[in-house]
Amino acid sequence: MYMSIDEIEQELGVMQLSDSFFPTGIFATSNGLEFLFKEKKIHGMTDLIEIIKTNIIQQIGPTDCVALANVVDGANKNDFDKVIEADKIVFATKPIKEIRNASTRSGVQLIKCMSEFVSNDKILNQYKDNITKNKAHGVFPVAFAVCCNALEIKKEKSMAMMLYGFTVGIVGAALRLGIIQHFEGQKIIHSIKPIISQTIKEYSNKSLLEMWQFAPQVDVVQMSHEKMDSKMFIT
Amino acid sequence: MTHIPRLGIGGPVGSGKSMLIERIVPMLAEKGYSVSIISNDVISKEDADRMRANLATNRGLLPENLVIGLATGGCPHTAVREDPSMNLSVIEEMESKHPDLDLIIIESGGDNITTTFSPILADYFIYIIDVAGGDKYPRKGGLGIESCDLLVINKIDLASMVGADLDNMKRDAKKIRNEKPFEFINCKTDEGVMRVTEHIIHDVLFGSPKSAISQKV
Repeated sequence: MYMSIDEIEQELGVMQLSDSFFPTGIFATSNGLEFLFKEKKIHGMTDLIEIIKTNIIQQIGPTDCVALANVVDGANKNDFDKVIEADKIVFATKPIKEIRNASTRSGVQLIKCMSEFVSNDKILNQYKDNITKNKAHGVFPVAFAVCCNALEIKKEKSMAMMLYGFTVGIVGAALRLGIIQHFEGQKIIHSIKPIISQTIKEYSNKSLLEMWQFAPQVDVVQMSHEKMDSKMFIT
Repeated sequence: MTHIPRLGIGGPVGSGKSMLIERIVPMLAEKGYSVSIISNDVISKEDADRMRANLATNRGLLPENLVIGLATGGCPHTAVREDPSMNLSVIEEMESKHPDLDLIIIESGGDNITTTFSPILADYFIYIIDVAGGDKYPRKGGLGIESCDLLVINKIDLASMVGADLDNMKRDAKKIRNEKPFEFINCKTDEGVMRVTEHIIHDVLFGSPKSAISQKV
């Protein structure tokens, strides 16, 4: 079975947007991992896998993924109100200032970068316009969904890209901190794949009203990172 | 949105990037230019805190909130070249909230001799090295040394103590930079720093005639 030209182009869009070379600034985030490392509360692969799992199962899955799925569905139907609604809710679910700022900064830059080479997508242009006029925040999951829709990437694949990107981001931070070595990094990414699949299955059809998150220890760790005097990551 | 001129300053660890900023900002302020600073730091916010204390809190040369420290995730060159998203985001906030600023200085985290700035991030790029790293550096080249708009060689007072020959450095800098400008300075005494400031005023701020600039050791 052969892929059509359109399908190949969509796959190239997947590669471009999920490549760590795509400029969103996320390489400078650790999501609190740096604080745990400094406090000597994380040791090796097993701990790191647990942290990634907790983040995905308790935070990113039930909030960011639900938002992303709703925005992709909404954008597909030209429902811009859904995009704005998700933008507001996701912003409100990020109480930690560092995390909130990083999410909006990378989201806004993602939209700006995409607008440089996709000019005919109505939802993308509307979202960019609303961000410029301070009518939308530009949080990352919503921005990512808008960009995936502009490249005609399907909902489940978009969710996989975001979760994979998060996982790679944490693994990259752990490598730079010296918590793991490079082969272990790939083993971790491989071991997280079933969690990513389950999360996509669970949250691809939930409404925005069904969003939730509960990871108080992660919140405390991320807040503690804000107060660190010496750090190399922005979160 | 207003585009405020952006000056990027990069260079190896300990070459004097922050110190140069601490010396040129008062000179620019004296001439009436309002400046803000974004300090990319590899491992801490110490440089930003010190610049804020010295330039804003103690001397009132700029508001405290216009000195911003930015962590680089351990990748200083990525933050100013391959993926300058976070820097651009902070700059856009500054341009929106402070459109009357004359100049935004972006300090790179300490890095190696291949550092360069993305053209979208910096309109003008100063690369600073110091003589204590060895007088071979202009000769060895590297993207930063070769491509910057102005090469600054700091700590010339240490030359005799570390066996660095300033004449050799001058000859090599001329050769490798194809006659593009370079300056020898000593940030501790301000020797040569005014010439750097004049380059900035002329080349970035378009403020005064280039004839005011000389190139003497």
